[in-house]
Amino acid sequence: MDLAWVLFKTLVFPGVTFLLLVIFATFYLERKLVADMHGRTGPYYVGPYGILQTVADIFKILQKEVIIHREADRFLFLIVPAVAFIMVSLVAAFIPYDKNLWIVSTPYDLVISLALLTSLPAIFLFAGWVSKSKYPFIGGVRVINQLISGEIPLWLAGLSVALWYGTFNYVEIVEKFDIIGFLVNIVGFLIFLVAILIVADRPPFDIPEAEQEIVYGFLTEYTGVGYLLLAGAKFLEVFVLAAMTVTLFLGGFKGPFLPGWVWFFIKVFAIYYLAFAIRASTPRIRLDQLIKFTWTVLVPLSLLNILLVLAVKAL
Amino acid sequence: MYKGAQIITQPVGKEGDLMVLNWGVQHPASGPMRIKVWLDGEKIVKVENDPGYVTRNLEKMLEYRTWENAVVNVERICFIDDLGTILNWALAVEKLADVEVPKNVQYFRVILAEVGRIVSHLIGIGGMFGALGVATPTMWVLALREYYLDFLEHYSGYRISTAAIVPGGVRFEPKKEDFDLLRKAVEETERRWDDYKEVFIDNPTLVERYKGIGIIPKELVFELGLRGPVARASGVDYDLRKRYPYSSYEDFNFKVVVKEEGDAYARFLVVLEEIEESVKIIKQALEGMPEGDKWKVRMPKKIKAGEAYSAVEWARGGIEYHVVSDGGTGAYRVKISAPSFMNIWALEYIAPGHKLADLATIFASLYICHGDLDR
Repeated sequence: MDLAWVLFKTLVFPGVTFLLLVIFATFYLERKLVADMHGRTGPYYVGPYGILQTVADIFKILQKEVIIHREADRFLFLIVPAVAFIMVSLVAAFIPYDKNLWIVSTPYDLVISLALLTSLPAIFLFAGWVSKSKYPFIGGVRVINQLISGEIPLWLAGLSVALWYGTFNYVEIVEKFDIIGFLVNIVGFLIFLVAILIVADRPPFDIPEAEQEIVYGFLTEYTGVGYLLLAGAKFLEVFVLAAMTVTLFLGGFKGPFLPGWVWFFIKVFAIYYLAFAIRASTPRIRLDQLIKFTWTVLVPLSLLNILLVLAVKAL
Repeated sequence: MYKGAQIITQPVGKEGDLMVLNWGVQHPASGPMRIKVWLDGEKIVKVENDPGYVTRNLEKMLEYRTWENAVVNVERICFIDDLGTILNWALAVEKLADVEVPKNVQYFRVILAEVGRIVSHLIGIGGMFGALGVATPTMWVLALREYYLDFLEHYSGYRISTAAIVPGGVRFEPKKEDFDLLRKAVEETERRWDDYKEVFIDNPTLVERYKGIGIIPKELVFELGLRGPVARASGVDYDLRKRYPYSSYEDFNFKVVVKEEGDAYARFLVVLEEIEESVKIIKQALEGMPEGDKWKVRMPKKIKAGEAYSAVEWARGGIEYHVVSDGGTGAYRVKISAPSFMNIWALEYIAPGHKLADLATIFASLYICHGDLDR
C-alpha cells in the first residue's frame, strides 16, 4: 500500500474530512426529517433546501466566547471535548465502507470498537465533573447510569455475532454474511438497536441530556469550540454505532447492482431514519425505568440470544 | 408522595448531604419562576416555590384605566386564554352598572370564551408532552390551534390578546365569514380528534410516566383551594359554568369532566376531554344563536359607587374579580384571584418523594400559566 493512498484515506475519505461531513449531514437530516414528522418545514433559507443551515450554525458557535466556570479545572475542561472527539473518531477507522475501503483492519476490530465506546461515558462523566456545576454533574452521573444499563446488552449482542461468524474482524464478518446469518442474529439485531439508542443517549433514552429536567446534562457549561467538539462527538457516536449495526447485522457493503459504499450508506440511513422516527414519536422514560427495563428484559434476553446462537451453531 | 398536609420546614439533613438545585429561573422547563429543590441523589426531598419574577402589578394598573380600556390590562393576566379574563371583567363591570346585554351577545361571548379554552387546553396538552422531551404532539396541537387563531384574527384583528369582549357587549359585529372560519376550525378538530386521541391517550410511554405520579388527594384540594382541571382530576365536581351559570351557560348541554384518580395522568385526561366538551358547546351556540343585531349596549362613562364580585370558569380554573367603584371613570380598587397561583402550591406537597425527572411532568400537569402566577 503506498503512502499517498493511506494519507488520502486517513485525511479525506473515510477519514477526518468525511467524518466532519457526516456531522454536517446528520445534523441537517435530523432537523429536516424530524421537522417533516412534526409537520414543519425545517431548515429552508440558507442554501438550497437549507443545506447550509448547519454550516451557518457551526460558524455561529465557533464565534462564541469560550466561558470557563471560575471553579472549573481549566485544563481538563478544555481537553475533555477533544479526547471524546478523538476517541469516537478512532472507532470510525475500523469500519469497512467497501471491500477495500477501511483505514485499519485488525483481528480484534469488534472488541476494540466496543472498548472505545464503553470508555466514552467515563469521559462524559469527567466533562460533567470538571465543570463544577450542578446540572452538568447530575448529567455526568446519569451517563454512568446509561453505561451500566446499555453497554452490557451492546457487548452481548455484538459478541453473539462474533460467535456465529467465528471472527472479530469486520471485513470477514461482512464477507461471511448471508441470509442464514441474518436470521440467526435477528434477536441480537433488535437488542443491539435498543442498546445503541441507550448508549448514544438517543430519545427515548436521552436521560443524561434531558432538557426539561437537567438543562443539557454534561454539555451545559460548554460554549464555543468545546461545545462543538462534544456535540460533534455525540453525533459521531451515533454514526459509528449505526455503521457498526450495519456491518454486524445487515451485511455492511454487500448488496446487488450498486457499488458497495452506496449500499453501506443506504443501510446506515435506514438505521438513522428509524432513530429519528423513534425520537419524534416516543416520550422520554425515567432513569429507574430504564435500569429496570435493561436488567429485567434486555440483559436476560441477550444472554438467551447467545445460547440460541450457540445452539444453532452446534446443529 | 403526599404525607399529610404539611410542608417540611425543619432543616433537612446535615449540610452537604443534599444537593440544592435552583430549578429555574433560567431553565428550559420552569418558565419565569424558581423552584428550589432539595435532592438526595435523584430523589426529591423538599420543594419550595419562588414565583414573582415577572410581576406587573396588574391590579394597581387597573386603577389608572377607564372601565373599557382596562380590558387591555385584564387580558394580559394570561395571554394564552385571554378571552375568559376579559369576559369576567365585562361581567363585573356590567354588574356594577346594572346593564343587561342581549342574548345574542351572551351566546357569542360563550363562543369566544370556549375558543379561548380550547386554544389554552391545546397548548396545555402540548406542554405536558413537551415535558417528556417529545415535540411532535406539541407541533400537532399547535397546528390545530392555528384554525382557532385564524377565527380570532379575522374577528378581532389579533391572534392572541384579542380585546374582543368589552363591557356592554363584544367589540365588533361578527360577520358571516367569522362563523365560517369557526365552523371550519370545529370541523377540523372533529376530523383530527380520533387520530389525536389514539396517539395521545394510548401512548404507552406517556402512561408510564404520568400514571400514579403526583397524586393530589381530595382533602388537599379543599385545603389549598385548588381549582379548575387540577381539582376536577381529584374528584371534585366543581365547575362555575354549572354551579353559578353566567352568560347563558345554563342553556348549553355539556358535562363536567371529573376523574377520581388525582394523578398527573388524570389531569392530562381532564384537559384533553374538556376540549371535546368545549367543541360541543361551540356547536350548540352556533346552531342556537338568537336573532339580534345589537352587539354592544351603551355603557355609562362613569359608574355609580359600589362593589361587584364576578367569577368565571377560565381555562385553568375559576378566576374571580372583586371590583370597587367610587363613581369615577375607572375602578377604584380591583382584587384578582386567579387559579394558577392557587394550584402551584400543591407542588410543595406532592413533589417530595418523586424522582427529579418527575418534577417536570408534575409541574406541567399542574397546568400553570406564569402570567396569572405573577399578576
